[in-house]
Amino acid sequence: MFNRRLLVPYLRPSAVLLAVILILAVIDGSHGRFLSSSIVFSVLQMFATVGPIALGVGMTMIIREFDLSVAGMVGMAGCIAVLTGGDNPWLGLAAAVGTGLCTGLLQGFIIARLKLPSIGVTLGGLLVFLGVSYALTGSRSIQYDDLEVAGLLGQHIFGFFSIPSLIILVIFAVVALIFGMTKLGRDLLAVGGDRRAALSAGIRVDTLLIGTFAFSGALAAMCGALLGYSLASAAPTGLSNVLVPATTAAILGGVSLSGGTGRPLGIALGTLTLSVLQSGLNALGLSSYAHEIFVGLVLLAIAILDGTAFNARLDMLRLALRRS
Amino acid sequence: MLSVNRISKSFAQGQVAALQDVSLSLKQGEIRAICGENGAGKSTLVKILMGIQRPDTGTIHVDGRPAEFLSPRDAQDAGFAQVAQELSIVPSLSVLDNIWLGSNRVPVFHRRREFRDKAQAALSRIGAGHIELDALAGDLSIGQCQMIEIARLLVGDARLLILDEPTATLSDTEIANIFAAIRALKAEGRSVIYITHRLGEVFSICDSVTVLRNGRHIVTMPVGDCDREHLIELMLGRSFEDMYRHQPNETFHEAALSVANLSVPGLVHDLSMTLPRGRLVCIAGQVGSGAHHVLRALAGLSIATGEVSVGGTPMRLNSAAVSRAHNIHFISEDRAAEGIFARMRVLDNVVATRLPLLGWFGLISRSRLRNAAKSLLAQVGVDKTRLDSEIGQLSGGNQQKVLFGRAMGQAPGILLMNEPTRGVDVGARADIYQMMRSFCDQGFGLVMTSTDLEEIVGVADIVITLYRGKFVRRYEGAAITMKDILADITHPPDQASPPAMAISGVTAS
Repeated sequence: MFNRRLLVPYLRPSAVLLAVILILAVIDGSHGRFLSSSIVFSVLQMFATVGPIALGVGMTMIIREFDLSVAGMVGMAGCIAVLTGGDNPWLGLAAAVGTGLCTGLLQGFIIARLKLPSIGVTLGGLLVFLGVSYALTGSRSIQYDDLEVAGLLGQHIFGFFSIPSLIILVIFAVVALIFGMTKLGRDLLAVGGDRRAALSAGIRVDTLLIGTFAFSGALAAMCGALLGYSLASAAPTGLSNVLVPATTAAILGGVSLSGGTGRPLGIALGTLTLSVLQSGLNALGLSSYAHEIFVGLVLLAIAILDGTAFNARLDMLRLALRRS
Repeated sequence: MLSVNRISKSFAQGQVAALQDVSLSLKQGEIRAICGENGAGKSTLVKILMGIQRPDTGTIHVDGRPAEFLSPRDAQDAGFAQVAQELSIVPSLSVLDNIWLGSNRVPVFHRRREFRDKAQAALSRIGAGHIELDALAGDLSIGQCQMIEIARLLVGDARLLILDEPTATLSDTEIANIFAAIRALKAEGRSVIYITHRLGEVFSICDSVTVLRNGRHIVTMPVGDCDREHLIELMLGRSFEDMYRHQPNETFHEAALSVANLSVPGLVHDLSMTLPRGRLVCIAGQVGSGAHHVLRALAGLSIATGEVSVGGTPMRLNSAAVSRAHNIHFISEDRAAEGIFARMRVLDNVVATRLPLLGWFGLISRSRLRNAAKSLLAQVGVDKTRLDSEIGQLSGGNQQKVLFGRAMGQAPGILLMNEPTRGVDVGARADIYQMMRSFCDQGFGLVMTSTDLEEIVGVADIVITLYRGKFVRRYEGAAITMKDILADITHPPDQASPPAMAISGVTAS
């Protein structure tokens, strides 16, 4: 049965996205710098980079945890893929994603079974991954010789898309379907909304925790491997500054740091908003500070609107106005 | 269907025995009350039955076969379900999802019409059909959340239902609905373990009663073989003197607190009242009547408008710090969240509000802290050997006494108490009532809220009734009767009349 309330979680992310597009279009006026097909391609390219991380980190935020280690995993996975995928890019991808999955499982296991805060555990993971990537590469940037792969990944498909952006779009669609249609989504929201309640209702909390961290690790690794291939090189640093945009995208998409809210599609919308802003402001010739200031203000506004105290104060103001 | 054989469980390396050699058995379709003071071992027994804790020794048999519960999931698979005192409702999920949460009956693809219909039918059956399935559980009152938990039991296939004080937060009509649901469950052949501090409920709904005391099984008998006084004696292990000492202190005349046009948006509307010192004032109202929010607003914890003066001085609202500065003490209805610092010691908890008095230029003196805490614990009647225990390990009654200790020995002010005896056993209750009287004698102004009519009539000098956030009437002394209060809080003010439903046996016996 179709249910209007199912739309509620998407209202705000969609509104923010539309507002951003509208504002940029207005600023652009009739110059045609913003609404062009090359912009759509670059938006989707950025979407393909931030999307997997945002989805992984966003899912850990939904269950009221946080996966910092993705920042290290992206870099390490890139190095692993480039090092092992010399002859067969599939092998490199599998090695990278396998590593991400296993380390995610391990971190999730530690967090769930030893009941440790995820920030601490994944901060440890982040540092270990960074260190390992330095060791793997000897602190140098390493080249990937199979330029054909890089070319393939950079190719336009159907005008706007590329292989990485198509992959992540499919992943988002599949995850959103599973999340919306099956018990899994409800159980994850329950674990984030009230851990104790979920446990006493008989939900397998530990399994979900471990699974989510494995999911997040695997996605980050996939993202790192694809990035390494498409840039035809990998370096221990440089790729690790994805955490902040990913978290921002998740919050823009309706995920709350206090857990229990947010949907995969919302995260996709949030990522899209962020990508549109970045590419749009670039196209308009505004500097990257403008992007950061703009995103910062939007996040602040969302945080304020979310607060219950703010709404209570609004109610009081309304009451006072009616009196006078 | 269930038999528990010689179960023992102890905590803190065997120093505290929570259960010793407890055995009991339960037939199919039986409603069994389990009674006992806090610390008698009721909650430990429930946790063992629900697979949350494991017994040190002893066995559980289900249908004659031995069962071992290693996790809540195992207990659920055996057909055991529980409504715990602390609700397990996820605020960010819809009512529908909360009802089916954790159920084995739901297939992986669960967004189907039949589950909506079953959930709706379950709600209607307990008289809660008006709750919208798509509403967020976080927007509902505690009473409504309780109904959702019970609906969760109804849609499940549980054979043994454990209800731990399911009526503590409910209004009388809701209680009547829940009793009807419990009887229906019994008729379906399900068994119920019913834990309550309201002894009237034992006699109105249960078939048999088991009394626990200090972790030991005292007796199990049909309720017909027992009366209220006898039951209390069995629980306490001594005869029971009158719990309520009703002598209003007449030595004070000035107003402790005057309130004009107090409003909490959406919850309390234009409440005005003047309360004298030395009296115990009770604000009576059902769950959702806004009574709690009157006190919360006075404590600076709910956003409110209106004029309030304390002892003649006007007080600014909306700041807990300002309220504290006017010597207002607040005891919350939610002890775990707003009362105790659960992970800290009893010592730190009892002196938490008076640290500046116990130091020297901001440096806290450990010995003075300790001595002050010792004397406070002696005053509130908590064993001083518990000084260094984590307060979370104490019983609800003892935790509440520690919180009263925070207001003790300070200049007379105002003591606000929301549901001061919630989750507190009979023995500790009597102590707390006595403590309230001693605060009255010191010249404090006391205001409490309660949903327990028996308690209101028993302890209050002045009763103010609320209906949906609006003032109804004020009663004083001998004019306080259960009948009037019940009529006031359940009916719109203009048509207040004795309620048609004979539910006085439920809470008033």
